[in-house]
Amino acid sequence: MDFEFTKEEKALQEEVREFMKKESTPEMLKETEDMGDIYGGPEGRKIIRKMAAKGWLTPTWPKEYGGLGLSDVASYMIREEMGYHGLPFGFVAAHMAGPTILRFGSDEMKKKWLPRIASGELEFALGYTEPQAGSDLSALNLRAEDKGDYFILNGNKLFNTSCHIADCHWLACRTDFDVAKHKGVSMMIVDLKSPGITISPLITMAGWQTNEVVYEDVRVPKENLVGEKNKGFYYLMAALDFERMFPLGRYHRVFDELVEYTKETIVDGKTLSKDPLIRQKLAQLSTEIEVTRLLYYQLAHILDKGGIPNYQSSMEKTFATECAQRIVNVGMDILGLYGQIKEGSKWAQLKGKVEKFYRTSIVETIYAGTSEIQRNIIAQRGLGLPR
Amino acid sequence: MDYDLNEEQELLKKAAKGFLSKECKPLFVREMEEDPQGITPELWQKMAELGWMGLIFPEEYGGIGGSYLDLMVLLVEMGYSCLPGPFFSTVILGGMTLMEAGDEEKKQELLGGIAEGKIFVTLALTEATAGYSPERIAVKAEKDADAFVISGTKLFVPDAHLANYIICVARTKEGENKEDGITLFLVDAKSQGVVITPLKTFAGDKLNEVVFNNVKVPKGNIMGELDKGWPIVKKVLQKAAIAKCAEMVGGGQRALELAIEQVTEREQFGVKVGSFQAVQHHCANIVTYLDTSRLMTHQAAWRISEGLPCEREIAMTKAWVTDSCRSLVALAHQAVGGTGFMEEHDLQLYFRRTKAAGVYFGDADFHREALADVMGL
Repeated sequence: MDFEFTKEEKALQEEVREFMKKESTPEMLKETEDMGDIYGGPEGRKIIRKMAAKGWLTPTWPKEYGGLGLSDVASYMIREEMGYHGLPFGFVAAHMAGPTILRFGSDEMKKKWLPRIASGELEFALGYTEPQAGSDLSALNLRAEDKGDYFILNGNKLFNTSCHIADCHWLACRTDFDVAKHKGVSMMIVDLKSPGITISPLITMAGWQTNEVVYEDVRVPKENLVGEKNKGFYYLMAALDFERMFPLGRYHRVFDELVEYTKETIVDGKTLSKDPLIRQKLAQLSTEIEVTRLLYYQLAHILDKGGIPNYQSSMEKTFATECAQRIVNVGMDILGLYGQIKEGSKWAQLKGKVEKFYRTSIVETIYAGTSEIQRNIIAQRGLGLPR
Repeated sequence: MDYDLNEEQELLKKAAKGFLSKECKPLFVREMEEDPQGITPELWQKMAELGWMGLIFPEEYGGIGGSYLDLMVLLVEMGYSCLPGPFFSTVILGGMTLMEAGDEEKKQELLGGIAEGKIFVTLALTEATAGYSPERIAVKAEKDADAFVISGTKLFVPDAHLANYIICVARTKEGENKEDGITLFLVDAKSQGVVITPLKTFAGDKLNEVVFNNVKVPKGNIMGELDKGWPIVKKVLQKAAIAKCAEMVGGGQRALELAIEQVTEREQFGVKVGSFQAVQHHCANIVTYLDTSRLMTHQAAWRISEGLPCEREIAMTKAWVTDSCRSLVALAHQAVGGTGFMEEHDLQLYFRRTKAAGVYFGDADFHREALADVMGL
């Protein structure tokens, strides 16, 4: 057993932290917060390309495609640091599409896309959810008609975040309507500037933008089909096994700032941190953050051993996101009336970060598989309970 | 990072599981709850022959020289089988205190005896004030020529009824700093003035009231230094807290299995109970509590084994495992339903034991408060 980083990983962590502290500008931090940690804004692109140049965007990838061949532990550590330091950490191309291309794509596809993803030049947007296909993703029915050397696409996507700033759509669409639902899905890469695509904003209570995307007779070249036709649902699910994880970094940061706040704030002649109830609550959260850390690196450890995380990734995602919600809820309770004041006022505490994160936290247990879906997975796949 | 047990530890785990599944069946556990001794000499001797009692003692004291992590592996299996008897009190509370503070002669004599299964030692720490802070130590030891005279009552002393020796944590000096002025005395349990009265407990643990009526103890029986006993107690308490966590994790594993057994067999409304989402989510929560408790316990035990700083991890782990394992057994009961409420169902053994384990060596609130200190709050 060993629950610490290796010497090399520790050194890398120091290097990564130094880099992030030095490079993160107030403009970049604001952009990341405003956009919801996704990658693709002008400020984010500046810093992430520098990071990518060091190989840190795709550290586990083979060197020929722009990676460093590092361990998954190192890769997980970098993502955690990105979240903690306010950098965008939601990457579709580097963390979701790329690994799928690496596993299932043709050599041509790998050569064409992977280096540009690893360099941070290209970002994708997830194209999974549709109005009638949320938790039941297999119900998606954006239609792709095979026209020989190209497809014609028609249909609607909903809550497709990043589409307004990304370059390509990582699209799940239906190529066969006559077979079982999950056997007629294909994955494609679609240029979001293609004629026939209309992107309309939907604004969330966190102030972030997500989108409705309408496809009207959109032409997609055959070479953009990922792997085999009608195998898309399998790729998508396999990718989730590898990629489902939630770095707690940004909420961990809020917690650390909250702890400092209680040490510095005096109420009724006593520092908040001496209040027995507040001590209990913060100690509990600190414990949960540690539990999350162990669950998070457990995934990396399984990957590094050559395994595939099974129910453990659902457990990590659920625990971490629910922990995030508890952190900001306790934060709001501790700030009390002040918690309501938004950034910009002289009365705002912690730059209004807690109320902002309180708003953002609610979606964490919903997107990328709700907590209920995750618990189904834990019970059925982890414990073998009947479907 | 490496989350896995090593090969020897896997072997130890397997061997312990096999042995206990034969020698410590649930019926035996129930018998021992009612038995005044709480253990049979036959089982105790077999455990000694397996080397369990000497597992963590260095070879020069008749032990095997295993690590704390090895011990944890064993304790998980003991918790899984609800092993009754004085292993915890003798090896962890007695043995570890001896290892920390015993002089060479005592270590030679007693550790070897423990390893052979011939000597029982326990720690008399808590009192009527029922807590684990130095402020709660009031039993007095006063100097009288070349000896000390101990007077007062210790409470919740595990397995004192079997003990050959009782390590008594007594106050030898009053002052502002409550950590100062505490001394450890090795008391022969047959000394004049020692009165042991068993307490009836809800988990079947053998706890005792131990009254010291002016018990005379030679000066040479002080363990460690006069007035400087608390740091030793603290160290032992920390190791004992994680050892309890290991037991809870083992018990939690069995509770999960009992729940899964029931919901995959029983049918209601024409389908398996385990196919209902409400039940599945209970089970998902159970295994989450269990896995996280195990990970936290492994990490803390690993840090203890490696001699790394671990005050923070120990406080977090005891708090987390105490709450989680209690919740998981309660959820298992909910999943199992009415059957689990029956005395003859094994789940109730774990429900009682987990709660008892939670309050030993500091409950969750106690450890969160300790953690708050570590966090500089």
